[in-house]
Amino acid sequence: MSSAFEQLKGSRNRLIALLAASQEMDDVQARHTEMMDQYFRTSLEESRSGQRLFSEKVPFALVAVGGYGRKELAVHSDVDILILFGHRIPDLAKGLTEEILYPLWDLGLDLGYGTRSIKDCLRLSREDFEVLTSMLDARFLCGDSPLFLNLMAGIQGKVVSKKKEAFARWLEDLHQIRMERNGDASVILEPDLKEGVGGLRDYHHILWIAKAFFELMSPRDLETTGRLSHNEYLELHRHLSFIWLVRNHLHQLSNRKNDCLHFEYQEKAAPRLGYRDREDLLAVEQFMGDLHAAMASVKALNRAFIRAHLPRERGLWKRAECMEVGEGLHVHQGEIGFDSATTILKDPLLLMTLFVQSSRTGCPLSMEARRLVTEFLPLVDDALRRSPEAVGGFLQIVNGDRAFDVLNQMHEVGFLSAFIPEFGDIANRVQFDAYHTFPVGRHSLETLRRLKGTRGEKDIFLLDILLELPDSEPLLLAGLFHDIGKVGKDHAVRGVEIARGILERFQYPQRDVEEVLFLIRHHLLLVETATRRDLADEKSVVNCARLIGSPERLRMLYLLTWADSMATGPRAWSDWIANLVQELFFKVLHILDKGELATLDASEKVRRTMDEARRSPVLQGIGLNPEPFFEVMSPRYLLTAVPRDMVRHMEMLHRMRNLSAEEVRYPFCLETRENPGEGCAEVTFLAKDRPGLFADMAGVLALNSLNILSADIYTWRDGTAVDIFKVTRPLDAIHPEAVWQRVREDLKRTFEGKLSLPYRLGQKRSSPFLSTSDKPSRPPEVVIDNASSDFFTLIEVFADDRVGLLYLITKTLFDLRLDIRIAKIATKGDQIADVFYVRDFEGQKIEDEVHLREIEGALRYQLQ
Amino acid sequence: MKKVEAIIKPFKLDEVKAALTAIGVRGLTVSEVKGFGRQRGHKEVYRGAEYQVDFVSKVKIEVVMEASLVPEAIKVIQEKARTGQIGDGKVFVSPVEEVLRIRTGETGKEAI
Repeated sequence: MSSAFEQLKGSRNRLIALLAASQEMDDVQARHTEMMDQYFRTSLEESRSGQRLFSEKVPFALVAVGGYGRKELAVHSDVDILILFGHRIPDLAKGLTEEILYPLWDLGLDLGYGTRSIKDCLRLSREDFEVLTSMLDARFLCGDSPLFLNLMAGIQGKVVSKKKEAFARWLEDLHQIRMERNGDASVILEPDLKEGVGGLRDYHHILWIAKAFFELMSPRDLETTGRLSHNEYLELHRHLSFIWLVRNHLHQLSNRKNDCLHFEYQEKAAPRLGYRDREDLLAVEQFMGDLHAAMASVKALNRAFIRAHLPRERGLWKRAECMEVGEGLHVHQGEIGFDSATTILKDPLLLMTLFVQSSRTGCPLSMEARRLVTEFLPLVDDALRRSPEAVGGFLQIVNGDRAFDVLNQMHEVGFLSAFIPEFGDIANRVQFDAYHTFPVGRHSLETLRRLKGTRGEKDIFLLDILLELPDSEPLLLAGLFHDIGKVGKDHAVRGVEIARGILERFQYPQRDVEEVLFLIRHHLLLVETATRRDLADEKSVVNCARLIGSPERLRMLYLLTWADSMATGPRAWSDWIANLVQELFFKVLHILDKGELATLDASEKVRRTMDEARRSPVLQGIGLNPEPFFEVMSPRYLLTAVPRDMVRHMEMLHRMRNLSAEEVRYPFCLETRENPGEGCAEVTFLAKDRPGLFADMAGVLALNSLNILSADIYTWRDGTAVDIFKVTRPLDAIHPEAVWQRVREDLKRTFEGKLSLPYRLGQKRSSPFLSTSDKPSRPPEVVIDNASSDFFTLIEVFADDRVGLLYLITKTLFDLRLDIRIAKIATKGDQIADVFYVRDFEGQKIEDEVHLREIEGALRYQLQ
Repeated sequence: MKKVEAIIKPFKLDEVKAALTAIGVRGLTVSEVKGFGRQRGHKEVYRGAEYQVDFVSKVKIEVVMEASLVPEAIKVIQEKARTGQIGDGKVFVSPVEEVLRIRTGETGKEAI
């Protein structure tokens, strides 16, 4: 092996070792490039074929092309080299490649080479712009320099000058393809450092345009010829150096050419780059925050540069030449800009006006305007942040059709973070997991974009929801600020406080502030409830409904949930989740649409009832803690029971539980009281619920000639049935207690199977003492309603009243394996109008058509 | 060795997982699945438009374990995943012929 080879091998190994040891390595690429250059020079001197070519006076040159030409050799980058000849390629060329190039393969380098004449190069460049780009990057290494200059002159004079338009279009298409294939690296959690948008290619595009269109030679010329400002150039260089360093570490860590920064390498690279875990942020999160910011900056510069220096970008933005955009601003070639820098100094509000006009006209900011906004950011002070004109302008942008594009521009140039510093605090925050695709700032903008774009969604469901929302501004602001609290744990709660500060500064209307804050506070409610709670359990749904309070809020919350999830990443919103969230949405909606349960007044009422019950001396007297009882009470019970009754029921239940299981097989508790005002008696009955219980009770009451006027039955979540009947007063007005005792006795015997209710009631009905009226009767009516409740099938019965009727109905329902959970019994004159909320014994609504028809038929039959 | 597959309600996952870990299960696979059994899909009507929900979202847990552990595993799954309502899910048990831990090449019991 040649000495050149040994030298290269040694110095490369040292370089990689230094990199692995995280030495200060800002110039790693320059050093690597220098090593390669050195190798080619030395090995050409040592090469026998080279010597013969020299002596035969055949001109040739070694030319570095591609990344090597740009001196951007990362440790495992491809090394692309061109062996250039004038006209004809001599046979000796083969020997040259063998001597100089083949050894590099032994080093494990990815070597790409071509042996070409100038004519070949020009032809290939014309046919394939990829070759052209590598020629634009060409750098002379050694050999015959006039040959190289001829090539460069040919590229400019014979290729570029004739193909400018096509080359520009090709570059833009390439950008588009990269966007589709690699995505926007400045916001993707596993970015491609080179091909991703915001990656090194964005910079290469700038270079190629500069070289092809303005014949610039080196990157530095971008500044010296005024294509970039001094600050822009420094900024670009700083960001590129960072990305390059990351890329070299990535190459070394993965021990191959690899530009996609996967999670495993992010964690390993962060400490090497000097990041350390902090209390609030992991090292890797700080690292990725910086990297994304760097790539966002490269991306923004690329876009601005392309717009400024290439024939019009197609699509997105509207062409507008002579638009009226107000004092101090103007539109030039479809881009909006300031008339002069001094006007901004006089009127800082112009900074906001610029974006408002950009939003209104659809013209993007000119490169100069971006530059000026960045430079005048210190003018954005508290006074401007509070100024009603600036806030008004901001809201106008948020409400406008181009909200996302304009806010994104504001974000890119730093204005958004200056105007809303709270947004700046979270903008580059990265969550190190596979769930979140974007840093928080971009995620917030993406959420807004989704909210804005709902009308374009195919999902008709969302469209329906949105069409019903009258004013979506609070929703949009909530979308923008929903993660503003992501500086620590409980970000929804924290976000409310931070957003309140922003909205107060905005002097936003109080009512709408509450709306925005509500949405921020509960932006996770639907997803969390849908995935972590039992949706078949009424309580979780009712709790949700109570928090939300109105169908309109529910709709906004649904949209925010959807937009937030879509903007989070591909795994946050799937059919699977959508299914669950929509199920919850409908259940909550039905409760809000139908019931009074969820109104804020209702929850306030429940709270007061519970407080009063807590203070009851009765409970304190027997040392009974009401809290476990509150836990199991059904929502409807909580809402309707008065504190005094609630206390009484708890006390009864307590007493019933103390009955010993051996003495009493079917424990129950029955209490009565006279209700003189209404001329009726009230029976309170508690027992462990089981199907058929209600029928038994109704039967026993009828048997004792107690006509049921109304009934409320509640089933607590621990399976306690609490039934309250209003019945006619006992016929024996002198000894009512005897009647109640007989009721208790009959119940006990019924439960034990020692008393047959159908037999006894049949007997009673046929008794001649009971008058059967002859007046014309109405045919009974049975209505089955499956739509009103998500948890029950409703059966409504209208019929003429008669002895034991309620027993018959409830017994029929029991025979059909239906469990009555709620009953509203009303008797008006000689007509009953009863509603039963039933489920099957497995706790489900009745969906089976045949079963439903059977219920209807059986009830009609019994009621005839 | 047996494979125990359980289809359960999503909100029950944490409980079931904790219970399985507690009885000595050392690893499990979870996937989000959709399907239907007795709890069929249903139709929602919203402002006149119908939204047909054909499949219900569930979670599937798969665990491979020694046969001796199966009865207890089934018991705790049933205990934890049960709400008593339709849609609580199902448990399937099937024989497993062989297990290989890719990294070490261990097979059989050790590889579980």
